[in-house]
Amino acid sequence: MISKLLRKNTSPARVAGFLLSNFIGLAIIVGGLQFYDDASSLFTNDDSFVKSDFLVVNKKVTSASTWDKGSTDFSPSEIEDIRKQPWVRDVGKFSSADYRVMASVDQGGRGMSTLLFFESIPDDFVDVSGSAWNFSEGDGVVPLIISKDYLTLYNFGFASSAGLPQMSESIMSGIPLRLTLTSEDGLRRRELQGRVVGYSNRLNTILVPGTFMEWSNKALGGGTQKEASRLIIDVSSPGDIAINAYLEEHGLEVAGDKSGSSASYLLKVVVGIVLGIGTVITLLSFFILLLSMSLLMEKNRDKLHALLMLGCPVRSVASPYIIIVVTVSLLAYVLAVVCAEIMRHTYQGALEGLGATGGGWWLGPSVGLVLTLLLMGFNIISVRKRVVSAF
Amino acid sequence: MINEITLKGMLPRVFVSESIPFSEVWNADLTFRRGCRYLVEAASGAGKSSMCSFIYGARKDYEGTLCFDGKNVADFSIDKWQHLRRESLAYLPQELSLFPELTAMQNIELKNSLTGCVSKEEIEEWLHELGIDSRRDYPVGKMSVGQQQRVGLIRAICQPFDFILLDEPVSHLDEENNRKAAAMIEGVAARQGAGIISTSVGNPLLLDNALKLRL
Repeated sequence: MISKLLRKNTSPARVAGFLLSNFIGLAIIVGGLQFYDDASSLFTNDDSFVKSDFLVVNKKVTSASTWDKGSTDFSPSEIEDIRKQPWVRDVGKFSSADYRVMASVDQGGRGMSTLLFFESIPDDFVDVSGSAWNFSEGDGVVPLIISKDYLTLYNFGFASSAGLPQMSESIMSGIPLRLTLTSEDGLRRRELQGRVVGYSNRLNTILVPGTFMEWSNKALGGGTQKEASRLIIDVSSPGDIAINAYLEEHGLEVAGDKSGSSASYLLKVVVGIVLGIGTVITLLSFFILLLSMSLLMEKNRDKLHALLMLGCPVRSVASPYIIIVVTVSLLAYVLAVVCAEIMRHTYQGALEGLGATGGGWWLGPSVGLVLTLLLMGFNIISVRKRVVSAF
Repeated sequence: MINEITLKGMLPRVFVSESIPFSEVWNADLTFRRGCRYLVEAASGAGKSSMCSFIYGARKDYEGTLCFDGKNVADFSIDKWQHLRRESLAYLPQELSLFPELTAMQNIELKNSLTGCVSKEEIEEWLHELGIDSRRDYPVGKMSVGQQQRVGLIRAICQPFDFILLDEPVSHLDEENNRKAAAMIEGVAARQGAGIISTSVGNPLLLDNALKLRL
């Protein structure tokens, strides 16, 4: 009977207005965060195989270096000079294979083969659990880390023009590669299997374990020691300006450095704007509910007073209004999550095509829930205050 | 349970700067005791409704102190007041505060539902006694003031109480209905050992053995 008395003068239009605006605001926030979470893997530099405080550097290739073979190699004195810099913890050389590599794949009866090359870096610089990144002579299987760009080149450059199926990272990792290693003189040969254990954004190469490189160079190489043309440096603080100054001065480039990429920055700005709009709409909807509840309670103020005069507990006088606030807020939240999930379905295919790994499902909904509960809490407190003020 | 209501040097703030005529309530030491009957009589504007509102916790604009069993009510929380209003203090305000859109029975049941202390049969009997049983399902807003006053009286006694405050409860009733109402209230109060405090401006509730006080 109390709720029948107190809900009189409720305006369905105002409640619907709140529901709609709260739904739109929350859907934008939940959807925007979800999109950011899903898309950010396209731009982030996170690389589980190489830590972010490792830099891969090489000398800039100029027109002159085309004719002067070996001019992009690092001499031992140059490496020693880098090692002496205060920001350097450790330096590792890229060593390359001294033999030819041919990889072939059987794909549904259509064979495909290509010439490849191998490089390795000291195993301390590779962040893959021991057993997966290891080779011993009797294994017959070589683990590989390849550049993510190669997969992208295959999927969007080669596969689509050659009518071949596109491959995700996990499918690619499941395909066994037949590797044929031949010495330069063509006299020695080894057949092995290769398996891709990871993809890297920051290493533009095909990486094999150091132990494998040692073994294979001994077995198939010509015995000449090549100088390294690329170095991997463990730096103490990646943001140090001294690093950039040194690299600039010596004509060195950092490979695979996408942290400052404008696309990632743009994504953040766009998502920031979208979230800003969503937040403003949500806050406005909060004020709509706050004001319509205040108006409703102001209209029923005499009744609130009369009920309190009878001795009704504050809780039961406030509850008809709290029920409206809770029901409508939660309904708006559920609708917003459903809507964001539908949006996600529509863009997910396109994002996956671009190579995004996809984010978790929880970021958008949980931020939305926290926001909903927070605003709901404020509204409930305000309802209680109004009831008490009618005492 | 409240056994004593004590007023010490109490005065509505609006009277502070005025000189007031002799009063046994304002600026005095007065104790209302449980089980006793009081009739507070005064001219209009002397502060009868103010006194009831102060005791019922609805207003606090007074000087002096008001204590229930020695405890200053100024310290009571809202929840404490709400509890007292359900279990210890019954009140019929002069303006009645009935819900006009509800029927007589719904108004009474709204109060009774808070404690459920009175049976439906008893309510029906009271309605019959005061001659408004034929109006039980009428919206209160369509009733005469006299009928509304009787609905308000029945609603006021639908709870356990130690004191009942009645602010001009029979101002629109004839003598016969006044007597019936008084007998009903005396009966319910006596059953609980409760005190009755009733005010009037000339048509007092016809209580037996009531102590008359001049406001």
